[in-house]
Amino acid sequence: MIQIQTYLDVADNSGARKLMCIRILGTGNQKYAATGNIIIAVVKEAIPNMFLKRSEVVRAVAACTRKGVKRCNGMFLGFDDNAAVIVNQEGNPKGTRIFGPVARELREYNFARIVSLAPEVL
Amino acid sequence: MRLEKCWFCSSTIYPGHGIQFVRNDAKIFRFCRSKCHKNFKMKRNPRKVKWTKAYRKLHGKELNKDATFELERRRNRPERYDRNVVQNTIKALKRIEEIRLKREEKFWENRMKVKKDKRADLEELKQNIHLVKAPVALQEDPSLALPKKMEKVKVKVEMREAGETRAMEE
Repeated sequence: MIQIQTYLDVADNSGARKLMCIRILGTGNQKYAATGNIIIAVVKEAIPNMFLKRSEVVRAVAACTRKGVKRCNGMFLGFDDNAAVIVNQEGNPKGTRIFGPVARELREYNFARIVSLAPEVL
Repeated sequence: MRLEKCWFCSSTIYPGHGIQFVRNDAKIFRFCRSKCHKNFKMKRNPRKVKWTKAYRKLHGKELNKDATFELERRRNRPERYDRNVVQNTIKALKRIEEIRLKREEKFWENRMKVKKDKRADLEELKQNIHLVKAPVALQEDPSLALPKKMEKVKVKVEMREAGETRAMEE
C-alpha cells in the first residue's frame, strides 16, 4: 500500500537511492499503489555522478511492498521493504540491474524485462 | 499445492492460512497464524519459546532423533514419475505415520513414568489413610490430618479403634 509521501527504496542501479511517491497512476483517484502499479516519484536521495539526480521527477513501478500481495491460492506474501524500479514512459527499466527479490505480479502487468533481470522472483 | 511448516512453531500450514514474509536476501519465512508472525516480528527465538516444537525437541520433551522423520525431509532432487513408486510411497506414508505416532506416545509415557508412579502412590495413600490413622481421630483433632508434604507422617493408633478394626477383620 504505497501512497503519496511514501518513501520507497530503489531496487535498480539507475543512481537513485530513495524515492518519494507523489502520485499514483491509474484509473480514478487511486489512494494506494500495490505491486505492479506505476507511480510518479521524486528522487530524494541519489548516488553522486549518475544520470539521475536528487529532486528529479521520475516514473517508477512498485516491485515489492511490505503489505504484500494476495495470491489465488490464499497465500499472502509480504516483503521486507517497499521497493520500486524506475521506468521510462514505455515501461522499460532505466537501470540495467535489479537488486533484491521482486513479486511475480510484475509479469502480469507486462514488466517482463524487470522480471527477467531480477535475481529472485517470488 | 504443498503443505509447508510454520517457521516459528513448526505446525503445518494449510492453504489459505497464514502469511509468508520475504526478507531482502530472498529467504521466505512462513507462518501459520498471526501469533507466530508477531513473535517473529518481536525477534523472538523459537528455540527459547516454550510452546514451539523447536523448543520441545531441543529440550527433550518430544521425540526428535528418529528414523521416521527421514520421510519428511525435503529432497531437492526431482523424481521421475513412476506409478509404482507413487503407490508405494502413499502406503509407506500411512504406515510411517502410524509408527511415528506410536513412538511419540512411547516417548511421552517414558517421560511421564517417574511422575506417574509417585502420583499413583499419593492417591493410594490419600484413599487408604484410615489404615494408617483412624478417621474418628482425624475428625476430633484436625491437626492430625495429612500434611501437604508426604515425607513424614505421624501415625497415632489408639487402642480402642485398633480393637474395632481387628474385630471387623474377623
